[in-house]
Amino acid sequence: MLRIVFGDTQNAIYHPPTYFDNTYLDEWITDPRTIEMVKDVDQSEVISARAIDSPFLGSISVKELSGGVKTLILMLFDDSGKIFNASACGDNCAKWIVQIASEKDLTINLHHIMDFSTCNGFSAYIVNTGRYVGSFIEYLDEAFRIEER
Amino acid sequence: MKGQYHVIVQNNRVKYEFDIRRNITIIKGDSATGKTTLVSLIETYDRLGSDSGIEVVCTRRCLTVNNSNWEAVLDRSSDSIVFIDEENTIIKSKDFAKKIQGTSNYYVIVTRENLPNLPYSVEEIYGIHNSGRYSDLRKTYNSFYRLYGSPFSGYDRKVQKIIAEDSNAGYEFFKSAACTDINVFSAGGKTKIRRMLVEDPDSTVLIIADGAAFGSEISEIYMFMRSHSGVHLYLPESFEWILLSSGLIDGNRIKEILEKTEDYVDSSQYFSWEQFYTKLLVEETKNTYLQYSKSKLNIVYLDNRQKTAILHVFHIIWEMMGIS
Repeated sequence: MLRIVFGDTQNAIYHPPTYFDNTYLDEWITDPRTIEMVKDVDQSEVISARAIDSPFLGSISVKELSGGVKTLILMLFDDSGKIFNASACGDNCAKWIVQIASEKDLTINLHHIMDFSTCNGFSAYIVNTGRYVGSFIEYLDEAFRIEER
Repeated sequence: MKGQYHVIVQNNRVKYEFDIRRNITIIKGDSATGKTTLVSLIETYDRLGSDSGIEVVCTRRCLTVNNSNWEAVLDRSSDSIVFIDEENTIIKSKDFAKKIQGTSNYYVIVTRENLPNLPYSVEEIYGIHNSGRYSDLRKTYNSFYRLYGSPFSGYDRKVQKIIAEDSNAGYEFFKSAACTDINVFSAGGKTKIRRMLVEDPDSTVLIIADGAAFGSEISEIYMFMRSHSGVHLYLPESFEWILLSSGLIDGNRIKEILEKTEDYVDSSQYFSWEQFYTKLLVEETKNTYLQYSKSKLNIVYLDNRQKTAILHVFHIIWEMMGIS
């Protein structure tokens, strides 16, 4: 189940990439789901827990992954109870957020309206209004009624 | 600071090349397009210069600020291009908006958030496009592309409703120009348009707003338009820009200013081009029969000759407004 909180909220991490740099575990990086997300979003290959092959930047460290992928990895593995700001993710991360939320209860924080229009079967619980939305259009209409960002 | 600036930032792996022409530019878009890498290269070059191995080519200094140093850095910088990455929450604050309003710098801000405190143009919101590899096969070339260049849909039927962002002179003119069976409303501010749309999602509606300062709203309105086919958007720079473009006022000189506005707008005096156009129009029409006031439309603009000239500026929306 995906739960979305628009605007500032308690226990939120505004800039997940920095939090990731200081908290990630090696085993997160070599997990098959991470390897797939890094390939899709960053177009890069995970070589090992400490090395990534980027077609743009060459051989890079885990800390040089994109902010979007770092945030997705936190959503997947971090069990601290923190709520991560998904506005650090581009729309090319939306399908992964939906996929992670299909496997576990996931609460995300948004400071903009993320475009989930390409995500099949999208549904979410909007914490600000306490309403469930069963489609992208319902989500958009609900988000338009919320002032918080 | 006035004018357009060409910027090249590169190391042996990546090269960025782009132009900055207004005081506020926004960079957003997908993850992994190189936004943070760009800001990081500029930060390192500003700290270490050519010893960094990075090359920055621009006739103005390029630098970065962050949450902890922004006030001090802005106090001692001028006529520079200031880059700010998305981790910095200061960009959302009223203090930041107030501070940069009085500076001569240009600002390039990486964020996906709407920044309603900042009057940025829909034309200055960019994504970063990877253009591939050219002469140097080891290097990736990146350029900016405009995300919301021309959202006008070309709809050719009369709408049921017009929402004008403006509440004063512009609203009065559009209300007067539109066919009488179209309801024309004033939103009374750009941030109120969203709620007006969602409260009546089934009407066909034309939104007329000032493109020069509508940047904070465009991404969400644009998304709404994609899923609500009855919503249409017309974004001139501002109502004053329409009047200036009509040819009623000193045609050739004004035309030159409108074509190269970036060469005339001093960023330390004007927070947006909208403010510049208003001041220009007020000054150009002072003590003439066309004397302009933003708070109330001079009725001479509704006289047949003037009205016809003004209408021709936005002929592309005549059908939606029911003008024949």
